[in-house]
Amino acid sequence: MSGSAVAAVAVLTGWGQGIEALPDDAARAAAGRAVIPMGRPALESERFRRATRECLLGVAAVDALLREADLSRDVVKGSSTALFYVTCAAYGASNQAFVVADALRQGQGSTLHFPYTAPSAMAGEVAIEFGLTGPYGILIGGPPATIDALWQATRLLASGRCERALVLAVETFEECAALYARGRWLVRRPLVEATACALLVPGTMSARYDAPRAPSALEALARARAGETLACAPLIALALAGNGREGESVSVTGEWRGRRAGLSWQ
Amino acid sequence: MTGRPTSRPAEPVALVAAGAVTPLGADLDAFWSGLVTGTDGISMIERFRVDDLRVGRGGEIKKLRVSPQGRHAGCRATLLLLAAADDLRARTVIDAEPERVAVVLGTALGGVEQLERALAPGGRPRQAAAALYDSPAHALARALGARGPVLTIGTACAAGATALGTGADLLRAGAVDVVIAGGYDGLCRFVMRGFDALRSLTRERVRPFDRRRSGLLLGEAAALVLMTREGWTKGPKLGRLLGHASASDGSHIAAPDPHGRGLEFAIRGALDEAALAPADVDFVSAHGTGTPLNDRIEAEVLSRTLGGRAAEVPVNSIKGALGHSMGAAAALEAVMCLLASRDGVVPHTLGLEEPDPACPLDHVMGSPRAARPRISLSTSLGFGGCNAALVLEGTES
Repeated sequence: MSGSAVAAVAVLTGWGQGIEALPDDAARAAAGRAVIPMGRPALESERFRRATRECLLGVAAVDALLREADLSRDVVKGSSTALFYVTCAAYGASNQAFVVADALRQGQGSTLHFPYTAPSAMAGEVAIEFGLTGPYGILIGGPPATIDALWQATRLLASGRCERALVLAVETFEECAALYARGRWLVRRPLVEATACALLVPGTMSARYDAPRAPSALEALARARAGETLACAPLIALALAGNGREGESVSVTGEWRGRRAGLSWQ
Repeated sequence: MTGRPTSRPAEPVALVAAGAVTPLGADLDAFWSGLVTGTDGISMIERFRVDDLRVGRGGEIKKLRVSPQGRHAGCRATLLLLAAADDLRARTVIDAEPERVAVVLGTALGGVEQLERALAPGGRPRQAAAALYDSPAHALARALGARGPVLTIGTACAAGATALGTGADLLRAGAVDVVIAGGYDGLCRFVMRGFDALRSLTRERVRPFDRRRSGLLLGEAAALVLMTREGWTKGPKLGRLLGHASASDGSHIAAPDPHGRGLEFAIRGALDEAALAPADVDFVSAHGTGTPLNDRIEAEVLSRTLGGRAAEVPVNSIKGALGHSMGAAAALEAVMCLLASRDGVVPHTLGLEEPDPACPLDHVMGSPRAARPRISLSTSLGFGGCNAALVLEGTES
């Protein structure tokens, strides 16, 4: 098989678990709230003692995906699984905390906290937790970055460089809510914290990457129901499409900073 | 991978021209002549406060030419990119429809210095938006008039290599006709404070692969390469990108895998994509940060992958001259490989005087070496367990 298929998608948002938790109209459901937050996942491991909330959200999304796909951790462990991690802003909280601590001369925590300011720390924690040692990519940006990641995953699958690929997105906003309030022209409301993960496997459908001029129906639906979830939006759209499972054409699009990207499985 | 690879090679991608701004000077020529003459780009940092840090030195660019487009940028990272773009455009023409031109950049820090400003008293909303890590790439795309995909790669200090590899994939897929790819990062209080707290910075000079090495120093730079499919442009080219791979360690957030398994996976993957064997490699541009752990692990991986030829393939690191320029590092090192092929000389590793017996490689040290590598391997590692490798083919001048 030289194509790919979306085998499963897991979605966790400030509205709750799964697409079933999404309201019909996010703007109305937000009732004026600027940010719909998610809590810190309660993960037991001692290794997560210092990990940031956004790291744990990434781990929680992959766990949810494995449950959704009825897979054990052993299946994805090793170098046959590719990991693509995408975020537009989830590093913001740790970056802000580090800058503020430095300004206040609170240097005690810096040794522990500085590594977590890197977006690669979030992907790193997921890779460590699930033993992922295969092809690796981290993209920073809004919805088009997730579409780029999905496209790269399909290329790796088509070339046989991995047996499966995880495309993971995390977005958090609560800690930086004051900054987003100042940058209203850049992001819509409500800002909804989210994490989502898609599992791509070899399949018979070919993926076409392009730059459509208009949003797909799925893009509009995902925004209307979930709110502004930035990099998570294309994965939520895939989930709303019924995961774009084998044999069903699906097209996801996304726009950020005036640029639009799209990916269609046909 | 000891024998010949069996896979079909990926379509090579042409690297037409490059532009750069580094602590060694304002353009690519200054970068190259500085490396060959052994110029030390490390100095006391002057642009922001470092007096309370253990180490206040780094590869700071003292005079940055600001183009008219950059006068309102404000962001150091964007200014570095615009300076590198000016240098690139002085060497080649971007000859494609704007919608068919992509920008793919690697970075470890994005516009984070703008966050420091946004959070300071009187900080402005525009600074908050510019603090997003993808902001400098979008600013560069606007300046170039590029209207194709704009990608920011966040694999930390391996990001420049992954950006070139991703750019090649966009071209091979026919998604665009021209890619401006590379990497950048500016020095700022944020990153100096962080690495200072980690005790990763040396108080001595940077000594990659030396028995006395004691840490790295940071630097700032931007490097851009214009990439096309083979045959898209006529005229001289710097060389070709034959293979790329990125891999995760899955081992530790801030330290490399003790056995370098991710780096080895990336090297073997890049060679496989190029349909080349380790025996084909003529030169290795190592990550070579000068930290005790990185250099030992990297040397072990190179010894394993190159096998019996490990002692005869020249290896260098340019971080002794520039410092570690983070997101720019791998892109600069790729360009250095191609310039070495063009001019028939491999720059030496500044600061390396007494090779560590634990790093038994054919180090280029003391002075540049007359050699004209055809196939180069460039390796990179980054925070979060990121690894990347590029396989490049140079052309003679």
